[in-house]
Amino acid sequence: MATKEDLDIETLLEIYRRSMRVYKTDERFRQMLTSGKLRLVYYPVRGQEVLSAAMMAALNLDDYLVTTYRGVHDQVAKGIPLRDLWAEFTGKVTGTCKGKGGPMHITDPATGVMVTTGIVGAGLPIANGLALASQQSGDGRVTVVCFGDGASNIGAFHEALNLASLWKLPVIFLCQNNRYAEHTAYSAGTAAKQIIDRAPGYAMEAVRVDGNDPIAMHLVACEAVARARAGEGPTLIEAMTYRMLGHTFGADFSYVPAEMQEEAKQADPIPLFRALLAERGIDAATLEAIENAIGAELDEAVEHALSSPYPDVDELRIDVLKEEIAA
Amino acid sequence: MKTEICIPGLGAGMAEGTITEWHIADGGEVKEGDILYTLESEKTALDVEAPVAGVLRQVGKAGEVYEVGAVVAFVES
Repeated sequence: MATKEDLDIETLLEIYRRSMRVYKTDERFRQMLTSGKLRLVYYPVRGQEVLSAAMMAALNLDDYLVTTYRGVHDQVAKGIPLRDLWAEFTGKVTGTCKGKGGPMHITDPATGVMVTTGIVGAGLPIANGLALASQQSGDGRVTVVCFGDGASNIGAFHEALNLASLWKLPVIFLCQNNRYAEHTAYSAGTAAKQIIDRAPGYAMEAVRVDGNDPIAMHLVACEAVARARAGEGPTLIEAMTYRMLGHTFGADFSYVPAEMQEEAKQADPIPLFRALLAERGIDAATLEAIENAIGAELDEAVEHALSSPYPDVDELRIDVLKEEIAA
Repeated sequence: MKTEICIPGLGAGMAEGTITEWHIADGGEVKEGDILYTLESEKTALDVEAPVAGVLRQVGKAGEVYEVGAVVAFVES
């Protein structure tokens, strides 16, 4: 089992920086929604920051990511520029998809964010396709696909795991088990005791880890990346975490028992991470400087998004088919 | 500075919401993050927090329905 001494302080700080970029982005979205400055369906990622940061810090910028509509933590942790992300979320022409993708379809090949899907489970076969391309071309890239515990009950999960294992694809299946598939508790929808119990059926390496523990999560991620890069095939990672807010922002959350909400609070990865860094000799001023820099970057990103124009109506004819559709 | 407090649009189909309760009295001091009022709509129930610290000036009334985007209060700071 990983110990606190297993990661150097620079790597830990890098994971912390990525975690805080996610935390502050998520927080800003919720503030903007609450104050009525933004209107969109928002899927909060509070509580899942660290697992994404620890995973993405194990990747190169040109490695691939496939995620879902609850994926802003994955996108930000992967390194997507905040101003481009905010512009896309707000439907502006300066966004990563010229404002035509929106939050459901954040895509930024420059940072390896290849697809965000609005369909639960749909990302897994797409990730296989990206990994197959890398395998064929020998570009050395690794693909990570993020999904939730609910998606593991979708047929595409099983088909994708089977072929990825058979073909030894350089892909990592990162199941973020936040214990609720939308409004359905894990035990009410999933027969397997753990998601990793599915892996032996596909002869796949699998590991379950506390996703809220930056060190344990990062070490598991590094091992999976090394396996994929060495051509030794895929890994199924089941990262345990909690979704600390409702399925969509503002949605009723009372179906989650009070004890579990309390448990989630105790396991909140952000204060735990701060305590870990303090133990490792990082002072409060250093952490504050990191947060202030991200805050300033966010201010600029939000301002840029709000002041950018919406795409022209003519944009409807472009980026649909290979050729521009006639007016 | 006056900061507008608007009815948030929280879902694709949400057009209006009801202020069910004010948690801070008109003219009361608020800190950033204090719960100002509870908003209910068809699918959501949300405690709306103060985005900044200051003095709350209520415009909207408890029990009334407001369109998304409607200004229901100011925080003067």
